[in-house]
Amino acid sequence: MFRIEADRARFREIVRGRVRSDLRRYLSTGELIGRAGDQAVSIPLPQIELPRFVFGENRKGGGEGQAGAGEEGGAQAAEGEGALGAGSEPGQHILEVEVDLDELAQMLGDELELPNIQPRGARELLGESGRYSGLRRHGPDSLRHFRRSFKNALKRTIASGLYDPEDPRVVPAREDFRFRMRKPCPEPDSSAVVFHMMDVSGSMGREQKEIVRIKAFWIDTWLRSQYESLEVVYIVHDAVARVVDPHTFFHLRESGGTKISSAYELCLRQIQERYRPEDWNIYPFHYSDGDNWSARDTELCVSMLRDEILPRVNQFCYGQVKSAHGSGQFKKDLDGSLGHEETLVTSTINDRSDIPEAIRAFLGKGR
Amino acid sequence: MRLKSDLPAALKYQAVIVEGAARAAGLDFFEVVFELLDARDVNGVAAYGGFPVRHPSWRFGMEYERLEKGRQWGLSKIYELVINNDPTYAYLVRSNSLLEQKLVMAHVYGHADFFKHNLWFAPTERKMLDRMGDHSVRVRRVIDAVGLEAVERHLDRCLSLDTLIDPYLPLREHAHPPETKSPYTPPSERALRSLEALSSTPLESEPGPDPAPRPPSRRLPTYDVLGYLEEHAPLEAWQRELLHVVRSEAYYFVPQRMTKIMNEGWASFWHSRLLTGGLLEPAEVLDFADCHSAATYAPPGQANPYKLGIELYRHAEARGEELFRLRRVHNDVSLIHKLVDEPFSEQFLRPIFAGRRAGQAEAPPPSWQDLKSLLLQEISWGGLPQVELADVGAEGKGELNLVHHHDGRDLALDRARETLRNLAALWGKPVHLSTRVDKEERRLLCEEGEVRMVDTHEGLVERAKPKSKHDPRPEERRAG
Repeated sequence: MFRIEADRARFREIVRGRVRSDLRRYLSTGELIGRAGDQAVSIPLPQIELPRFVFGENRKGGGEGQAGAGEEGGAQAAEGEGALGAGSEPGQHILEVEVDLDELAQMLGDELELPNIQPRGARELLGESGRYSGLRRHGPDSLRHFRRSFKNALKRTIASGLYDPEDPRVVPAREDFRFRMRKPCPEPDSSAVVFHMMDVSGSMGREQKEIVRIKAFWIDTWLRSQYESLEVVYIVHDAVARVVDPHTFFHLRESGGTKISSAYELCLRQIQERYRPEDWNIYPFHYSDGDNWSARDTELCVSMLRDEILPRVNQFCYGQVKSAHGSGQFKKDLDGSLGHEETLVTSTINDRSDIPEAIRAFLGKGR
Repeated sequence: MRLKSDLPAALKYQAVIVEGAARAAGLDFFEVVFELLDARDVNGVAAYGGFPVRHPSWRFGMEYERLEKGRQWGLSKIYELVINNDPTYAYLVRSNSLLEQKLVMAHVYGHADFFKHNLWFAPTERKMLDRMGDHSVRVRRVIDAVGLEAVERHLDRCLSLDTLIDPYLPLREHAHPPETKSPYTPPSERALRSLEALSSTPLESEPGPDPAPRPPSRRLPTYDVLGYLEEHAPLEAWQRELLHVVRSEAYYFVPQRMTKIMNEGWASFWHSRLLTGGLLEPAEVLDFADCHSAATYAPPGQANPYKLGIELYRHAEARGEELFRLRRVHNDVSLIHKLVDEPFSEQFLRPIFAGRRAGQAEAPPPSWQDLKSLLLQEISWGGLPQVELADVGAEGKGELNLVHHHDGRDLALDRARETLRNLAALWGKPVHLSTRVDKEERRLLCEEGEVRMVDTHEGLVERAKPKSKHDPRPEERRAG
């Protein structure tokens, strides 16, 4: 069905054009979150429709019309479905468009001009895994390659003139045997882990969390397109930190003090225990309104970042979401003492319209 | 897709049996060619309106996407597809059971008979399969010459107007052939014109060597707005050619809209009669009943053309009407007008309209005549608003005046605005549409891409005065 596929491709192109032109809007609303599956996100669009003269709402008889079914498909009949469907009233169709997450990430990349992430030289380690793709002359019986062994034996038998088609007996000798051999194959370094750390102290309101949520979605989308496998760890903290599931992360509302070091400590422990920097590309993101409990804790954070976390990660991002109560001091402190560190990025988000810029700040370095 | 016309032996056998039964029952049709397709390919063909080849358009892709979603999610399934052509092509879905194939075949022979003998189909192009292929080639050639974007924009505009045709025109011309030569010129000449269309510079508004075959000049007022545009709109040669393509396809499909109930009813009536009249194996009876009742099921509040149609013919038979004559001379409106009486209305129409007046609890229930006129209103004019081109100011150079013949149902204004904008873009000059909104006479005026709602007589009076281009028109309008 070649021709219809061409029309379908053209239709999809038009639809993608719409998604692309609306991308800025999607970037600052949470519309796409929750519509994303593993591979694709399904985006609701109003049906693209050719305008025609049709009846409007105030029909004399009220209710829906039944005629005019099947436009130019007049000859077609969907039996069993009641083709003259009153339910096919035009104008209310919503088109669900499936866009691959990769493609969405591509659109995001185009829109924000994000560079692809460059592989870090030191990380290009060869993986230890291998496959049994080679052969050798010695090995355990359990790895014996029967077919190749038999073939060799057959060849030798025929070559030596002992082969008799009437009595095709082949007796393998020691030199005929072949055994499977494990060949190490280099495994590209393609796993990444994202830590989303969020301050859930009393000063972070609903709007601030929504901003974090939208940002986290787009960051995940982008990184997922860059790495073969992406793991995401969600950490919330007020005065203490803990690892939570995504739902909790996005909906939890706590109150209380703020001890940022608690989150960093937990993040560091996770890195040490589960995500060895040798094997993983590590992206911690931290969102807060910038209020920390004490200057001493901030100092602790700075030293922990400098000595422990930054050397282990690809990039550490701190996003400061403006809230009614937050002082925004933490970003100043970070910039003041660690501003020269290449792998630290900080940004300020005043409201939703800043989200695209903040994403660009975080991902624009290509690390 | 290539048509193969190869059926497995079992199906070919059935086709012969069913065709024999259909002919014995008195049905008469062009040769019917069955194609066996996978469900996916059937959707592809269905998106093309039943044709294996259409001109390229994203709309078909959208329709295909919709059908495919429906199939994949198990929401809908196309059983059969048949096109009005000589020979008549029909598609069978590979995954159907043998019983379903038999039922579909009988159904198809019913359609094929209807296509051949119903009066409203008499003027249709019977070589439409070829013509669609020809259209496809022509559109592709234009795309090569002027680019996809331009063609798409123009085609979408034309298609948005493709309901502005006169459903009764083909039959009138068929009955009284115009004195000019046949509306279709032979292919060789058409090929020449296409070449010319591609090589020539824009023709502006001068008629010049017009690429479109000219139907007889339309006298105003006319419902055939597309035809008027094709003759008089200031279009480039390729634009006129595409408009012609759209218009001729619209006229091809129009009888199917006008006879949906009759056509489906006729096919259902005959598949039921033929199968229960000896084609069914005893073991198939239950499955047949299941299948048939699914096709003719009408949920309350909805009209199912299969159901309505088959009941109309059964009713007519009970009244002693000649069925074959009915299927020959009527369309949906006239058949319902003739056949629906009180018992029929109470039994079959009341459920359709039940619940529609739920909001008005106090209103008395509609009488059977009310129900009949409600149904007639909904299907008249193909279920579309009647929009007529009333007049054109100053010898084809003026502004188009369209009139919506209001029957109590308002237009959907947002879409009417868009449609007008498309019309004005083709016409190149302001376009007026008189209609009624909330019981008040109103007029939509589309001028330079802007659509405004104006009072009924404003502007019309003004047009009588001579005016120069530099007139500060809005001010003048306000003053007037």
